[in-house]
Order: sequence, then structure tokens, then C-alpha cells
Amino acid sequence: MRVMAEYESLFPWIFSWLAPFIGSFIIALGLLARVRDERFYGYTSVFSILVSAIIASYASYKVLSEGRVIYSGGDIIWIPWINVTLGTYFDGLSAIMSLIVSWVSLLIAVYSIKYMEGDWGYGRYFFFFTFFVGSMLLLVLADNFILMFIGWEGTGLCSYALISHWYTDEEDKWVGKPGRYALGFPMFFEPTHSGVRAILFTRVGDLGLLLGIVILYALTGTFNIVELVNKAPEWLEPLASKGILSLLLITLTLGALAKSAQFPFHEWLVTAMTGPTPISALIHAATMVKAGIYLFLRLTPILLSGALLVHGEVSSLVTQELYNYFLVVAVIGALTAFMLASMALVSDEIKLILAYSTASQIGYMFLGAASAGLLVHTLKPEIIAEGLIAGLSHLASHAVFKAALFLVAGWLIHVAHSRFIDPMGGYAKYMRLTALSLWLAGLSLAGLPPLSGFFSKELVIHISSHAAPLLSGLAILTAMLTAAYTIRLVLRVLHLPPYEAGVRHKPGEAPSVMLTPYLVLAIASLAIGLSWPIASNIYMRAAELTLALGVGYEASVSLSTLTLIVVSAITATIATVYIVYYVIKLNFSELIAKNRLSRVIYDFLYDRWLINPAIYAIFKNGGLRVANTALDIDESIDYTYHKLTPSIGSIIANYIRGVHRGRTDYYITLYIVSAVLIILLALIAIR
Amino acid sequence: MSMELQIPLLWVTVLAPPLLAILFKLLTLEHRNTRLLSYLTAFILLIPAFISVYYLGIKRVSFVKDPIVLNLTDYGIGYFMLVIDGVSLPIVLGISIVTALVSVYSIKYMEHRIDELRRERVEAPGIYAYYILYNAFSSSMLGMAYSTNLIEFFIFLEISLITSFALIAYYGYGDRLRIALMYFVWTHIGGALFLVGILFYGVNTGGFDIIGMDLSYNRVYADLDLRGLAILAPISILLGLMIKMAIIGVHMWLPYAHAEAPTPVSALLSPNLIGIAGYAIARFSIILFPEFMVSIKSILVILSFATIIYGGFVALRQNDFKRFLAYSSISQMGYILLGVSTLTYFGVAGAMIHYLSHAIGKAVLFMISGVFITEVRGLRDMNLMGGLARVYPAMASLALIGFMHLSGIPPTVGLWGELLILIGLVQAYNPASKIDLITIAIAVISAFIITAVYSFIAMRRIFFGRVRVTGVFENIDQFKVTILILGVSGVVFFLMIGLIILPLRDAVGYLLEPIIR
Repeated sequence: MRVMAEYESLFPWIFSWLAPFIGSFIIALGLLARVRDERFYGYTSVFSILVSAIIASYASYKVLSEGRVIYSGGDIIWIPWINVTLGTYFDGLSAIMSLIVSWVSLLIAVYSIKYMEGDWGYGRYFFFFTFFVGSMLLLVLADNFILMFIGWEGTGLCSYALISHWYTDEEDKWVGKPGRYALGFPMFFEPTHSGVRAILFTRVGDLGLLLGIVILYALTGTFNIVELVNKAPEWLEPLASKGILSLLLITLTLGALAKSAQFPFHEWLVTAMTGPTPISALIHAATMVKAGIYLFLRLTPILLSGALLVHGEVSSLVTQELYNYFLVVAVIGALTAFMLASMALVSDEIKLILAYSTASQIGYMFLGAASAGLLVHTLKPEIIAEGLIAGLSHLASHAVFKAALFLVAGWLIHVAHSRFIDPMGGYAKYMRLTALSLWLAGLSLAGLPPLSGFFSKELVIHISSHAAPLLSGLAILTAMLTAAYTIRLVLRVLHLPPYEAGVRHKPGEAPSVMLTPYLVLAIASLAIGLSWPIASNIYMRAAELTLALGVGYEASVSLSTLTLIVVSAITATIATVYIVYYVIKLNFSELIAKNRLSRVIYDFLYDRWLINPAIYAIFKNGGLRVANTALDIDESIDYTYHKLTPSIGSIIANYIRGVHRGRTDYYITLYIVSAVLIILLALIAIR
Repeated sequence: MSMELQIPLLWVTVLAPPLLAILFKLLTLEHRNTRLLSYLTAFILLIPAFISVYYLGIKRVSFVKDPIVLNLTDYGIGYFMLVIDGVSLPIVLGISIVTALVSVYSIKYMEHRIDELRRERVEAPGIYAYYILYNAFSSSMLGMAYSTNLIEFFIFLEISLITSFALIAYYGYGDRLRIALMYFVWTHIGGALFLVGILFYGVNTGGFDIIGMDLSYNRVYADLDLRGLAILAPISILLGLMIKMAIIGVHMWLPYAHAEAPTPVSALLSPNLIGIAGYAIARFSIILFPEFMVSIKSILVILSFATIIYGGFVALRQNDFKRFLAYSSISQMGYILLGVSTLTYFGVAGAMIHYLSHAIGKAVLFMISGVFITEVRGLRDMNLMGGLARVYPAMASLALIGFMHLSGIPPTVGLWGELLILIGLVQAYNPASKIDLITIAIAVISAFIITAVYSFIAMRRIFFGRVRVTGVFENIDQFKVTILILGVSGVVFFLMIGLIILPLRDAVGYLLEPIIR
């Protein structure tokens, strides 16, 4: 359908993403002026994010209640020639997204004020934190690809800075077991190493994204996403007839896959745990990894509704190319979901388990949205809406429970003085509210009804069962693994005695500034689930108002066979884990030590399917080899120019110098010979 | 619409700085006046930045012209004019801002360097001699950017080469005489090749004007028969400029010269001077030999990618901070050549913007390397660095901004250069099949990622990890404020790119008219 644009004024909507940037600018000035008061940085950050959150809420309310899109500043050109506008675009998708980003970030910022107290990089932390939130909101709300890309790169930069926040690389800030190697490559990472990994892994994808955007620009002459919808046939047809549509879309989606830590880019995310824990919460719940799936959710309706507009012979070609593209994404999503869930089973670092689960859950989101694409041939807009809602609702549920889980983890790590789960245990009796939060958020992740995680996960499995039954089978299997590792983690930390003696302090409840954010999030995850009829109605409304879609889908869960299978699978897993782990207290480490096969499997999973060593062997060692070769070439060029050539010159000079011997008879002979030669030449010339 | 200045401000910016320094040398014997001299120099050198942004960016005139014109038509040379238009706008901005700030930066650095040389019992000329050379060098680069005539350009080029040669020979590091000589020989081979080419052109067409008195391009290429040996003329010009630009294969002089020059001079040599050769290819080769440029377009594009990737890989293996930056400059020149050789509006405009962003980013990084050389006992070995961010937090932030300029990460102006070059590349080679797309994707991703790889790995090696130096702390003085201003200017240009991009678009459109019809 054709999208008409009616522009609203720039204010106040632009502040939805500009406020955090202004906040970070003020913080930067404070840093330059060497303001020592920590409150200045923390409060500036919280306040500026609060402004965003309020505007985003107001906008979402307006969009959803009035049923029309807010498009501000689409006529204000920032960069002429390529016509980059300062457009802020609130449609159903971006409104919900901005709501999640701003409010979850706000809670994490509040938590950080206390968590980071006394840290030597306090001001810098809040500078990048605020800039991060601003970038993410810009990315979500931008009406054109260039603004979006600026936000996109901003999130990459801030994640780099925050992951390597403790850049002096002390061992207690590492991730992975110090001294563990796989295939000769270290499996432990210093903060600055992780930071470099984060920015380089994602930058590969970013460049694919940029190239994709630029190719679309070369075809359509616009970076504007709204215009791109109207021009859909203009770019879908030529690309499809050249046979490069699916490949181009994959290039473009590289950016999304890398940002959202999908295979094989997931490696950066799992080592990103070296940052302060609130940053992990921020990266995993509100910003950064959500950017990729957001872009995909943004693109899917554009592509699919565009495909509906293409007629004639090309139409089937477009459909086929789109099908191929979505198949690639769906497979990557399902594979990532399963792969990372299997790794989480054996991990012994609390944040690492949560990190695996993030990449895994985002795999679900990709699978859900891509499944709609696999049904492209049905040509039904409702299917697109279903896919979008599946992806978006799981994104929302995940944002809420994952933020809660990480914030709880931050407190537990603080209490245990260790990032490993073995020294933790038996905390339930010391901190009831924290335990409650962990249980609620954990069960939501596990997908137990009536928590929000159940409903959204069920939606994903439901749509994928229509599109690709095989992948949905994998998704159900993953759901069981998810339930298993989550319950194991919760039991281990809260109810079982510590496995290994660690530093024992008197554990207690977190200070209220830290407790409130995660308690709120955990309760929210229950509340969203309990009020699912309302929530699903909001999602439906959002889908109706999403760019290029305009159709809703009733996202309530009906009691189908599939639902029963999913629920019983998850419940059975939870029960099994409970019995094996808590009632029988099976000793897994003994089991692994005894049995050779289980040892191999354990190592394979613990070393993350050996993907990191493979990447390092190919790219790091390969790159080093190329660099060394280049250096050798360079040295030989240097030698040729600056050693060989001069010495040849001096040899020749020596010979010529030999002519001048300083003997008169010799000179006279030479003189006569030359004179004769010249005369002869002259005679020839005259004749 | 063109605009003729009332007072010959452009000639002032070319002539006044060296004359001022000579005057100081003659009048005052006290060294404490260097501060005044550097401020005055910086002020004069900043004039063209304001003029060009005001008239071209805000007033939207297409040419700013100096009233004084030297008429050398009697000698068959043409007119020497000083003009700024949209194409030279980013170049003038880059030169003006960097030379002005480095001039202030030089005070502390050069006093340190001259002291150091004195301790080594080397009798180097004093600080005023430095400023005479430095100012002449800076002004000559501005002159190159203003030039409308090939001979005029060549004269300024020679001045810049001789002054920079002297600066390396007097104040450089290591085996400075040998390196200065090497620099001199190499750049003069380039210069001589360029001269041969333009003489052939000028003698055959009866003039050396690129832009005539009526401020239109002098397009007489149609009369020029490039068959037979005449084809050597464009090749000779291009090769000469490529040596200046240090394209792969003829780059070997650059790491020596730029690493061992005194750091303020490196900060000018590396981004400003060599980039001008890229500007000259856009300005001269495209105007004079459009058909030739079209015919070798693909070769140049491949050469550019090779330069980017090769320079990046060699930079990865460097241990000396300044030599690392020098190799990074080689790699960055690949981007500029890439943009120019796409022969599209976007590509050429992107190359010019990349000149500006590289000028800012690389100057920031060189200036930071100078901070360590002066304050941390001559530290420039990256193996001995590490953890410097703990001691020099502001320098670390600025270095990050510098590296962001190189890798094209917003919010720095580097993004715009990268984006426009990429649009140009895609327009020139619009992928028509899967193989095309894969080739372009692999080339672009591997070329652009290598910049990020060496940038962020170097960032880690230099600034992160355990603190390894002792007894130093960061004192924000005027020396470091210059770096701060320069780094911030890159962010300002990122936001205000509209002022540059519109005049650039029009001027590039005019420039490429014969090619894109």
C-alpha cells in the first residue's frame, strides 16, 4: 500500500532521540571540566533518558490510540544532495520499540548509579551509556537509512567502549576460564580484547549493511525508508531480474545478523561479558543486539508487501528470490537458537549463560519473522503481521526478562565476588525479593505459562510450524534446552549449597536503588503474561500501524495441539531438571570425569562448538600470514629501491670513473678515437 | 556566480606567513616571541577556512577569486590566479585548519626538539628558522589548492617539497640526512614526471591554464592528439602524482619520510601534502585527459583497492607509532584514489571529503604521537606502550576520534567520505550479476574492515592494558588543546557537512561534465 507522508513539527518528537545525545554532550563537558561529583554524571544520564522515555510513551500512546503514524521532520533536510532528513518516524513498530528501549534503559541507568559507585571510570561510563541509548533510539526512530546507520554505528562504538570499560585488563574482569585453550587458541578474553572483537565482528556486518543501503540508493535515488516502500517495485524488479535480490538482501542483513549476534557472528556477544554487568543488561535487553532484529522486522513487511505489488512475469522471480533469502535467515536463526542453547547447558559463568541465551532467543525472533517470509507465496498480509508480531512480542518479552536477569546477576556476582556459579548457592534464604525476581524472569525465559516469555515463544513456534516444520521442531527442542539451563542456573544459585568454597560474605538483599529496577522488570514480565489479551491487542494494533503493513493479526494463543506439545515439553523438562538436579543431586562433574564420550561432548559445548578457534585460525592467523607476507614484500621493495638500485648505480659509476685515469697518453688516445668517430658520424649525417 | 574579493586575502595567506616569520627572525632575537608569531601565523592560515565556508557554503557563490592576477601570457604560460571553488573547498579547509593548529602545537614540540638536538651536539637552526620553513611549507600547500594554472601549481609544489625537505633534514629523527635526501629524490622524480607531462600539454595547446580568466574550465583536450608517443603525457602526469601520493609500488619513500620528520611536519606531510596529489588528479587529469581517465578507470580502481589493503596489512605489523601512521596514510590514499577513479560525482566528491577527514584524523594522531615523544621520554615504540589511557585519558579519547575519522565511524566527518566514495563506486560498477555483487562486496568489506582492524588493534596496543609508564601525568596545556580543537572540528564538520557538500556537488558536476554527459 502507498504510504502518504504528512509531516509534523520537529519538536518535541526529535527529542525522543536527541535528549540522550544532549545528555551525553553535557556529560562530556563535565568530563572536560573535570567535575568530580558522581551524581552529576548519573543524574544527567537518567534525566536525559527519562525525557526520551516520556516522549516515546506519549508518542506511542498517540500512535496507538489515534491510530495514525507520527512523522516529524521528514521535510527538514540535514544533508542536501543525498537528501538526508531529520525525520523521526513513530509507527507501530518503532513506537513499541522506542518504548522498550527507553524504559528498560532508564531502569538500567538507575541501577548503574549505585552499581558503578566509586568506579574510576564513572563519568566515562555514563557518557557512553547515554550516547548508547541515544544511538539506539535514533536507529529505531530514523526515517532514513543514513540516520539509522549513524545510530547503528553509534551503538557499535559505545558497545566497544563499554565492553572494554575496565581497559586495564585485570584478571577478575576477564571472561572465560583463565588458562583454558581450545585448539591452541585461548578461550579467555580480557576486556579490551573483547571490545576489539565486538567492534570488528559487527563492523563486518555494518559494511555489508552500508553496501546494501548504497546499492538500493543507486537504484532508487533515496535513502528514505518510507519512500522505499512506495518505490518497492522499482527496486525489487530489476534486482530480481538480475538474480541478485536475495544475495543483496543477505549482504544487507549481514549487518543485522552481526549486530544481533547470529551465527557465525555470535562470538562477539559471548565475550562481551567483560563490561560492567549493567552494560551487559543494556546490550542484551535494550540496545545493540536488538538493533539487528529490529532492522529485520522493519525490512520484512517492506519486502513482503513490495512483493505483493510486483506483477507480471517478474513476480514469481521476486517471490522465489525472497523465499531463498528468508530461508537463509530462518535457518541461521533456528541454528543459532539451538547452538547457543546447547552451549548454555554446560557453562559455569552466570553472565555467560545469560549471554548464550540472548543469542539463542534472538534466533527465535529471526525465525519467527523469517517464517512469515517463507510463506510469501500465500500472498496474505495477515501472515506478514503474524511474523512481525511473533518477532516483536518475543523481543519485548525478552527485553524485560533479560534485563531483570542481568541486573540480578550483577548483584549476585557482587555478593559472591566471582563470576562463576560454583561459588554461588543457597542465596534464596538471604534475599527473598532477588530470588523472586530471578524465578520470575527465569521462568519467563524458560517459557512457562503464564509468563510473557511463554506467549511470545509460542507465537514463534506456531508460525514456524506452518512455514518450516523442521525448523519449528528445532525450536521446540531449543525451548526444552532453554528450560533446562535456566532452571539449572536458578536452582544452583538460589537453592543448592555452593559447589565450591568461595569468598563468603554475609549475603543480603541489594540496596533498593538496585533492587527496584530488577524487581519491577520481573514483575512486568509476569504482568505482561497475565494480561496477554491486552498485550496481544497492543501488538495487533502496532502491526496495523506498521510501515508497509496496515494489517493486524490476532495474537492470542489458542489451545491447539502444538501449544499442548510446547507446554508439556517445557514443563516436563523443568520437572526433570528439578528432580535430577535438586532431588537426586546427580553429580555431573563426576559423570563427565568418568565417561570419555561425555567428556568430549562437554568440552565441545564448553568450547562453544570450536567456532571461535575456527574463526581465529582462518581470520586472525590467516590475516597475520597475509600481513607478514605484505611486510616481506614491502621490505623487498625497500631493498630494491634503496639498496639494490643505488649499489648498481655505484657499480656503474665505478666503471665510468675508470675512464678518467689521469694519464695524458690515455686521454690523447681517447680524444683521437672520439674525434674520428664524431667526424665519421657527421659525414654519414651530411650524406 | 563568482565572487571577487576586495582585498587580496588569498595572496596574503600565501605570502604573509613566510614573510612574517622572516620579519620576526630579523627583528627580534628573543625566542619568547615565538608564541606571538605562531598565533599570528595561525590566524592568517585560518582566513581561507572562514572565507571559503562563508562565501561558498553560506553565500553559495561558485568561485572565490583573488583580485590580483599575474598575466604571464607573453611567456605562453597563462594567468596565475588564486581561486577557491567547491572542489578545492574541503582541501582548503583541511590545509587551513591543520596548518593553523599545528603551528601553535609546534611551539612546545620544536623547543623540545631543538633542545634535544642541542644535547646531541647537533647545531640545528633555531625556532625562527623552523617557522620560516614551516610557514612557507603551509602557504605553498594553500597555494597548490588555490592554483588555476599548471605552472603555478608546479611552483607551489616545488616550494612545498624544498621546505619540507629542509625541515626533515634539519629537525628530523634517525638517519635524517639520508631520509631527507631519499624524500627529495623520490618526490622530485614525481615532480619531474609531472613537469614533463604538463610541458607537453602546455606547449601543444599554447597555455597552462586549467581555469581561464572567465573562471571556466579550459577544455582544449579535444585538440590534443594522444596517439603515439603523446600517450606518455597523461601517463607521466598520473605517475608523477601517484608517486607523490604514495600509491602501492611507489610508496616506499613515505614511511621513512613521515616517520622520521619532526612530528608537526609529519602531521602536515602525511595527511595534507600527499592528499593534494589526489586532488590534482581530480583537478588536472580529469580536465586535461578525460578519455584517457575513462579508459584506465578499472586499473585505477584495482590499484586503489590494492593500496588500501596492502597499506593496511603492512601497518598491522608496524611497531613504531609514527611509521604505523605513515603506512596508514598509504592505505588512506587508496580511498582518495578510489573515489577519484570512479569518475562519478559522488566518488570524486567523496574523495575530497575524505581528504578533509583524513587531514583531521591523521593530524590528530600524529600530534598525539608527538605528545608522547615530548612528554614520555621519546616514547614511540608501540611494544613499550600500553595502558596510556590511564595516564592520558584525554589523549586516548582524541586518538579514538582520530581512528574514527580513518575508519569512517560517525560522529566524525569520515563517515561522509566513506559513504560518498561507496555510492560512487556502486554507480560506476553497478552490480549486474551475482559474481559482480560478490566481488564488490568482498572488495569493499575487506578494504574497509582492514582500516578498522589496524585502528582498533593499535588503539588497544597503545592505550589499553596495564600501565607501563611511570612518572608522567596528563597536563592539559595549550599544546594539547590544539589537538582537542582539531578533533572537535571533525565532529563539527560531521554535523555541518551541508555547508561543504552543496558547493562540492555543483563544482564536481562542472568538473565531470565532459565525462558524464
